[in-house]
Amino acid sequence: MSTTAMHPLAADYLRRLRQAGRNLPAGRLDDLCAEIESHLAEAIPPGTSDAEALSVIERLGPPEEIVEAEQPPSAAPTAGDPRTWREWAAIVLLPLGGFLFGVGWVAGVILLWSSRAWSTRDKLIGTLIVPGGIAAFLPVLVLAGTAVKTRCVTQARSAAGAFVPSARRCVSAGGPSTPHEILAIVLVAIVVVAPIAVAVHLARSAGRLT
Amino acid sequence: MAPRDSTISQLRRGVLEFCVLALLRDGERYSFDLVRALGDVDGLVTSEGTLYPLLGRLRREGLVESMWRESTAGPPRRYYTITPDGDATLRTFAAQWTRFRDSVDSLLAQGATA
Repeated sequence: MSTTAMHPLAADYLRRLRQAGRNLPAGRLDDLCAEIESHLAEAIPPGTSDAEALSVIERLGPPEEIVEAEQPPSAAPTAGDPRTWREWAAIVLLPLGGFLFGVGWVAGVILLWSSRAWSTRDKLIGTLIVPGGIAAFLPVLVLAGTAVKTRCVTQARSAAGAFVPSARRCVSAGGPSTPHEILAIVLVAIVVVAPIAVAVHLARSAGRLT
Repeated sequence: MAPRDSTISQLRRGVLEFCVLALLRDGERYSFDLVRALGDVDGLVTSEGTLYPLLGRLRREGLVESMWRESTAGPPRRYYTITPDGDATLRTFAAQWTRFRDSVDSLLAQGATA
């Protein structure tokens, strides 16, 4: 009954509160919203004017302030550094966990999303750059290897009959030249550097929720 | 007043939980009633909404208990009661507060007459 008859300004306030508190643990947010909804229903009965409704909302204060008041006691039990072993494990597992048969990276993602030290934006960055972490570079390495091998084979053929270990010849052949090789090296650089950069970013941004 | 605003708001925040306990000493009250009672006291609360997180903390600390109840007219209400723990906490604070207030008052009075 109270919900259906809710004043549009009150409904809007509740919506803003839910939005502001989206990073709170679900139970806390639901509890807070139930209290505020009850407050609004009590203070703004059906038929209340917009001006009166606004003054009730003004007395409540900005939703962000309420969410902020809810946060300090819910922060990590260690009052100082928000980076507990779980945050550090996530920071290490995201770039490197892929080497543990990929399971480590998945564990890193779970730790990342279950932590309250990061915003949703940081969690998305941590997950999407790069899925699988540095281990994702293995397929790229194979690709690069294939590109190099192709060239070696061609060179070995041109060295009519002479038995020269092709690997040696490739090394002496100098730097990358084909577009394939350059692309492969750029990809390797991105796939190795990006997860490390993201890990550094996560280590620095932990606990600094906006 | 303005430059030391944060000190005042910290003081306020520090004593508010005891004010909630004091309001519950004589019996149960529902949250809206509690919040309005505190909001109506001059200079104590700037944003009424921030009292709800405070009530949640007092619940988790076991100083108060609460129960939702249907109301005959209007929305369901959450009724709060003080626990024995809350009562003991309030008594301890009240004694310390009196000493603290008297000391500060006497120093302020000395400063005014000096």
